[in-house]
Amino acid sequence: MSHHFLEIKDLCYTYPDGTEALKGLSFRLEHGEAVGVVGANGAGKSTMLLALAGLVIPSGGSVNVGGTLLSKSTLGEIRRRLGFLFQDPEDQLFMPTVFDDVAFGPLNQGLSAREVSERVMDALNGVGAGRLADRPTHRLSGGEKRAVAIATVLSMLPDILVMDEPSSGLDPRGRRLLIGLLKNFTHTRMVATHDLDMVLELCPRTIVLHEGTLVADGPTANIFEDMDLLERCHLEPPLCMQGKCP
Amino acid sequence: MPQIPSFSAMTPGSSRADRLDPRAKWIVTFAFVVAVSSFGKYEVSRITPLFLYPVAIMAVSGVPVRSLLGKTLLALPFILFVGLFNPFFDREVLLNLWGYSITGGWVSFFSITLRSLLAVSSAVLLVMTTPFDRLCLGLEKLRVPRILVTQLNFLHRYMFLLRDETQRMVRAHHLRSRGNKPKIALSTAGSMIGLLLLRALDRATRIHGAMLVRGFDGEVRLLRPLCFSCSRDGAFILCWMFFFLLARFVNLPVWLYGWMVGK
Repeated sequence: MSHHFLEIKDLCYTYPDGTEALKGLSFRLEHGEAVGVVGANGAGKSTMLLALAGLVIPSGGSVNVGGTLLSKSTLGEIRRRLGFLFQDPEDQLFMPTVFDDVAFGPLNQGLSAREVSERVMDALNGVGAGRLADRPTHRLSGGEKRAVAIATVLSMLPDILVMDEPSSGLDPRGRRLLIGLLKNFTHTRMVATHDLDMVLELCPRTIVLHEGTLVADGPTANIFEDMDLLERCHLEPPLCMQGKCP
Repeated sequence: MPQIPSFSAMTPGSSRADRLDPRAKWIVTFAFVVAVSSFGKYEVSRITPLFLYPVAIMAVSGVPVRSLLGKTLLALPFILFVGLFNPFFDREVLLNLWGYSITGGWVSFFSITLRSLLAVSSAVLLVMTTPFDRLCLGLEKLRVPRILVTQLNFLHRYMFLLRDETQRMVRAHHLRSRGNKPKIALSTAGSMIGLLLLRALDRATRIHGAMLVRGFDGEVRLLRPLCFSCSRDGAFILCWMFFFLLARFVNLPVWLYGWMVGK
């Protein structure tokens, strides 16, 4: 199980228009660790996640997923190990029915029909969405879409979960259910979000990005108590630490 | 803002027609369209027995007449345009009805309209009584190129999002315009459509990314077997095929009239 780690070294990425989005990021996630990635808009959170999955090709540095270095030849292997949850579930749910969507990844892994069905139902039941299997994906509520999107990732049995703004667009109850769900996961996981209260609940460790650089990496409570750091990075302490618990 | 009509009006599994294998429905609908369009241009009365098909499907599936008519008539302007010039070019008198001379042009115009409405109504019924994903699955099993079926699936999946995005843009325009029913200037409409295209491209890029991270290699695989029952789907195909052939090669209205008069 020790291969469920993620390590990036000197990761750089420059957009075609010349904007430097990532400027030499380096950190390592150990097996089973839950890490929050926070930062202001444009800090480079989403770009970094895209680079981890090889959806943008870094202009420098390396990504190591469980001992496999990211390259063109290892993209398939990396993507099998890394479950990626997109910010907008509408982007993630592209198949006509919930069952088809959750089965998309396992079918591409070449599993047998029986194995695929088992994986789909396990994943759906795992997120409490077993009853939605036959529903069209475009007719689900926001919370249901998010739960099914997570199931599409879980059905591939990834070693590492990477989530981009998982709580965006959810109502308070949906957000609470999502936090409850993510708390039970034992995967190595990384959550990029503006929802600092969720980070406080889910991630013992937090990484702060600012203008494409890593400015802090440490225990979440310490990071969120450092007012100078938060202000410098255009952030605020979580509401619950401000006495405005949602 | 006009709504995109939702053709999949019926609840999946709600009727006997819905439980049929989509391949059987595709085959019968296709055969019906071929049968309807194979009649000569002056045929009117011989086509009338074919009304039995949409009426029977409507009765079995429970599709309301009004709903079917509403959706079928959407195609009427295009249908009328097809035969519009026939009365002007074909002026040969074909028959006399109560003292009125009816030219071949009017007969063919009426025949084209009738046949087109029948064909469109059968297609509408097919879509209304079958969930879209099963329709596409049926097409795939009938060996229609996979890329085309995937395109259809994606079109249906994202049509509603595109509609919502358009509605939001139009609403934003109206809220910043004067008058109760502000009109969108051509130049504004142009930039709005351009923006919509850029947003659609952005979304397409994100969806492609979502597919890639889940192992997409150019082929969309599905795990939903279709069950073709000979007693149900086979009988459905055979019975309707027999009826279409009968209606095509036997003048049923004349035969029926002769039979009734003879009796």
